[in-house]
Amino acid sequence: MTQSTILSLVVFLPLLAGLALLLVPRQRVVFCRWWTLAAMTAGLVASGAALSMMQKGAAGMQLVHRVPWIPSMGIDYFLGVDGISIYLVLLTSLLGPIVVLSAWRSIGEKVREFHFLLLLLQAGILGAFLSLDLFLFYMFWELMLIPMYLLIGVWGGPRRVYAAIKFVLYTIVGSLLMLVAILYLYFAHHAQTGMYTFDLLRLYGTELTGPQQVWLFAAFALAFAIKAPVFPLHTWLPDAHVEAPTAGSVVLAGVLLKLGTYGFLRFALPLFPSAAHAAQPLFLVLAVIGIVYGALVAMVQTDIKKLVAYSSVSHLGYCVLGLFAFNISGFSGSLFQMISHGLSTGALFLLVGMIYDRRHTREIADFGGLAQAVPWFAATFVFVTLSSIGLPGLNGFVGEFLVLVGAFGANRIAAAAATTGVVLGAVYMLWLVKRFLFGPLVHEENRMMSDLNGREVLLLLPILLFIVYLGVHPGPFLRRMEPSLHATLTLSTPGPGRVETLRMLQLSTGSLRGSGTGWKAGAEGATAPRGASVPLLPATAPEFTAVVPAPGVMDQVLTVTASAFAVSASAVGNGVAR
Amino acid sequence: MNGSIVQVVLFYLLAALALTGACLVAFSRSIVHSAFALLGTFVGVAGLYALLAADLVAIVQVMVYVGGVLILILFAVMLTARVDEGKESNPTVGKIPGLLAMLAMAGLLVVTAVKAFGPRTVISEANPPSTVSPIGNLLLSKYVLPFEAISVLLLAVLLGAVTIASGRMRKGAGGKQEGEAPR
Amino acid sequence: MTNMGASLFAILPELVLTGAILVVILADLLLKARPGRPTAVAVLSCLGLVGSVAAIAAVPGPGAGTSAFGVMIATDGFALFFKGLVYFAAFFGVILGLMSSEIRREQYGEYAILLLCLAMGMGLLAAARNLLMLYLGLEMVSLPSYILTGFRRGDRRSSEAAVKYVIIGAASSGLMLYGFSLLYGLFGTLDLTRIGMGITRLLAGPPTGEHLALAVATLLSLAGFAYKIAAVPFHMWCPDVYEGAPTPFTAFLSVGPKAAGMAALLRFFLTAFGAPVAGAVGGFPWQVLLGILAMVTMTVGNFAALNQENVKRMLAYSSIAHAGYMMMAVAVGSGDAVRSVMLYLPIYLLMNTGAFLAVMAVRERTGSELLTAYRGLGSRSPYLAITLTVFLFSLTGIPPFAGFIGKFYLFAAVLKAGSPFFNVVAVVGVLNSVIALYYYARLVRTAFFEKAGEGEGAVALTEPSRVMLTVLAVPTLILGIYWGPLASLIERSAGMMR
Repeated sequence: MTQSTILSLVVFLPLLAGLALLLVPRQRVVFCRWWTLAAMTAGLVASGAALSMMQKGAAGMQLVHRVPWIPSMGIDYFLGVDGISIYLVLLTSLLGPIVVLSAWRSIGEKVREFHFLLLLLQAGILGAFLSLDLFLFYMFWELMLIPMYLLIGVWGGPRRVYAAIKFVLYTIVGSLLMLVAILYLYFAHHAQTGMYTFDLLRLYGTELTGPQQVWLFAAFALAFAIKAPVFPLHTWLPDAHVEAPTAGSVVLAGVLLKLGTYGFLRFALPLFPSAAHAAQPLFLVLAVIGIVYGALVAMVQTDIKKLVAYSSVSHLGYCVLGLFAFNISGFSGSLFQMISHGLSTGALFLLVGMIYDRRHTREIADFGGLAQAVPWFAATFVFVTLSSIGLPGLNGFVGEFLVLVGAFGANRIAAAAATTGVVLGAVYMLWLVKRFLFGPLVHEENRMMSDLNGREVLLLLPILLFIVYLGVHPGPFLRRMEPSLHATLTLSTPGPGRVETLRMLQLSTGSLRGSGTGWKAGAEGATAPRGASVPLLPATAPEFTAVVPAPGVMDQVLTVTASAFAVSASAVGNGVAR
Repeated sequence: MNGSIVQVVLFYLLAALALTGACLVAFSRSIVHSAFALLGTFVGVAGLYALLAADLVAIVQVMVYVGGVLILILFAVMLTARVDEGKESNPTVGKIPGLLAMLAMAGLLVVTAVKAFGPRTVISEANPPSTVSPIGNLLLSKYVLPFEAISVLLLAVLLGAVTIASGRMRKGAGGKQEGEAPR
Repeated sequence: MTNMGASLFAILPELVLTGAILVVILADLLLKARPGRPTAVAVLSCLGLVGSVAAIAAVPGPGAGTSAFGVMIATDGFALFFKGLVYFAAFFGVILGLMSSEIRREQYGEYAILLLCLAMGMGLLAAARNLLMLYLGLEMVSLPSYILTGFRRGDRRSSEAAVKYVIIGAASSGLMLYGFSLLYGLFGTLDLTRIGMGITRLLAGPPTGEHLALAVATLLSLAGFAYKIAAVPFHMWCPDVYEGAPTPFTAFLSVGPKAAGMAALLRFFLTAFGAPVAGAVGGFPWQVLLGILAMVTMTVGNFAALNQENVKRMLAYSSIAHAGYMMMAVAVGSGDAVRSVMLYLPIYLLMNTGAFLAVMAVRERTGSELLTAYRGLGSRSPYLAITLTVFLFSLTGIPPFAGFIGKFYLFAAVLKAGSPFFNVVAVVGVLNSVIALYYYARLVRTAFFEKAGEGEGAVALTEPSRVMLTVLAVPTLILGIYWGPLASLIERSAGMMR
């Protein structure tokens, strides 16, 4: 596998596996499941391979795969990965097999179609994360729409029809206006340079007037704010999450929402820096409202799944808050929070799905004292809860902390207000744990419930491991993100620094082919320069290095102790309940 | 000079004939009357053609429309059973908006005609040259393609007429098709 | 006569088609009561149409010497492209008619012949460069259409639709003729190119009453085109006619005449008014007028489609909306806009014919066109439901289907115009796509999310239906991902519009 095709493999493996699935007779249910599991696992391996091929500490795009697609329009098939997208790709790939396993028993009808759509969705998400051509990005972005619509609508809960159409309509309003904005940008770029291209790295360099920036930013931001979701546009989310089948909820919460925040980070902020900065107060306010409002609404929910759904609104608020802090702590906190929210909320939806499979209810009132009946389930649930509310030593803490540090640097009031969300988060989650797991076991039906089986343990285990690992040893992750985030931050800040950073990024992907006077022009002038020749950005992040300890023996010691602590804490809690 | 006054008077007479006929066709309550009123329109238009020195068109107008089409229509109307019952052949709906639209349209067209082409009076010569042979030449040279295409169109229309009529005859035996006139 | 041979080659597609019409008439007569008559007629008709498409290749380009017919019809790439397109539309119409039980077997011969005549009319309409030819082409499309709409005899809706069609058709062609007569009065010629020169001369001078006449003439001529492509305010006939006409003919009607009308409209405006359309003719802002008409057309179409319970009627309203999308580009009138319409129409041919084919297949089995007949189609006939979904999402304009590419080019052309007005038009266009998504997704929802009612068994798909669905769905998918060859074909064809 050469460097340039590994990303295509990552994207097209699920797609091809899905198409192949359509050739399988529909009765061969078991084969469909295994096939999809194998494809997803292979995808995970491919993503891991991509990670290992990447050069550490490089800011630019790597492993670039670029083929002219429709030359007359300047559309390229253009994939690339950097320190930002690689983690989202890995998260998506990791959740892939887990989702398949989670649907092993709960999806009984139209199994083949279900898995086909799952694979299609996976391909769409991965493609959107990896696309560096705006046209290609838009294709993948919309490709996710139909599978998700059908997943919710066919396999969803009682109000699935309503939830499905609401999801689709909300999404498409934003994305179609974004399409107009993309085209406008494309023509504006042509007017300046005389070149038709959808190459993101070239479009970064478009000089736009103030009003143009505002309008275009508004169109992009609307699409991403709906997806994220940012506060007043979030109403599709509880419906979609609650009605979707478990697998759908996990993908939705785990990765689909991140496309919104990723879109801000990759597109809306660096493309329109002035407008983004002008919109900073608005988005800070909306993010804080989202954090607090999501937490408050989560508190009064009686349906566990709905509670988790609203907690997503709150958690994604942190991601948006961090992005609009416009400093490196905020950016890295936001990205880290995207990953850890994907893990912990994904796990929560999985656990809720497991309990729903057993009891066919999700009302909190129908449970209580589960710790006595299903201790392992309860222990895991407590553990994931602690991760979700940001217990130090687990993943949730790192992201939230960095976001708050960043927000503090940008706006103290916003940071202070957002901090209340942390408290409220602890309240609603722990209150849920109390009512759900502890207390007397009043419902006799619950006593007969079986505990986690092997398959369930298998699918939860990787998530739990990563929750601990990211929590106690975030250094390597943060260090790898840092250069790319720095570059993005420079691009997102109006000023002279943009030009140079942009040139560096363009060189790293061959977007400046032909004008090769810069880096290694002699050696790489003839062929497209690969990611291997990416120059390093000066990795200076003063307020940031304080948080990230240097890797060493101490880290590993800390890892072991902390995970032992965490596991024993939940076990103790468990024992107390008994 | 004298001739021109005669022509002007003739023009207005013929135009009035054509317009009156058309109004009667549209507003008459009896379909038989409508059919007869059509005669006035056809003749009036033919006269206008003649005034414009378009001899062939005028003759064709009389021969084809008056001699052929109108007679056929009259046959069809007279032979239709219970034709007198069709009192509501021209129901009028939305009188006021329709009238307003008509007046606006007519006003626009009149203003356009006057402003664009001015109050000119076309006076034809006493003995205009015949247009028959130039038209014939044109039809077989410059306009040969439309001329031939019309034959295909006529074929299609003939076929369609037969198709629709044959169906009516076959099915109409039971009288079920009566009163099918859509509103 | 200059070079008779070359002249005949210029109308070779029409000659082949005329030959086919005669052969089909003869075959229909000779095979009177044989069981294989409809099949034989269909095969002959299809051969004729394929032959005509092949004959297009033999037509010499506009540069290849003077043609005796050159003054009447254009032989440029634009005309030939549309000829090929409408012949394909007729091709699908012939095949769909054979598969439908709405066309009675003993009448199939007439159906096919009328469709062939229609195809010829559409070709002439798309190529006409003379007002007389243009009008003749329009009538050649209209008259057989009236008859075919009323083809389902004994069906009240069919007859009513036909009569409505005739009345509105006559009224709008009357308006158009009046407009043409004004143009002739102004410029003394029926030739579009000469009229174009006359308009340039007229507009260069000081404003006179003739400017008003020109504006009125253009407005009236527009009425005829608007009627043919079912644009507001001449769209009233469309839902009734589409619902009442036999489904295979509706499928054809929603694509073929629309394509031909669009071609004629483009040629009329671009030849007579020059490209780009002069911003204001006779003090009248044409681009803005067309842009507003486009917005109104798509909005009216989409909103009316929202609550239709009859799927055929819903698709009729949606086709009005699609005419609106294309009119956006016509209003822009640039070379890109022409190309985008040329790209949109073949894609629209595929997806819309496909959607109607699915409607037809459901009707054949359940006898109903209502939304309720589609309940649980996902389990009752998975293949039909999946292909229908492909067509519907393609009509919505969602990637990776071809409809997205079509819309993408349309919006790109509109935004490229770069004026604030057209930016608004584009935004209205995309918001309309959202409305459209709602009703298309509603049908998908009914097919997949709702359970079949009592006694609604499997919808067995006949083998021809399955083949045709595949034939239409596969390019809809492929063109959504790789449309380069089609785009370059159009690039070559559109460049030659003269």
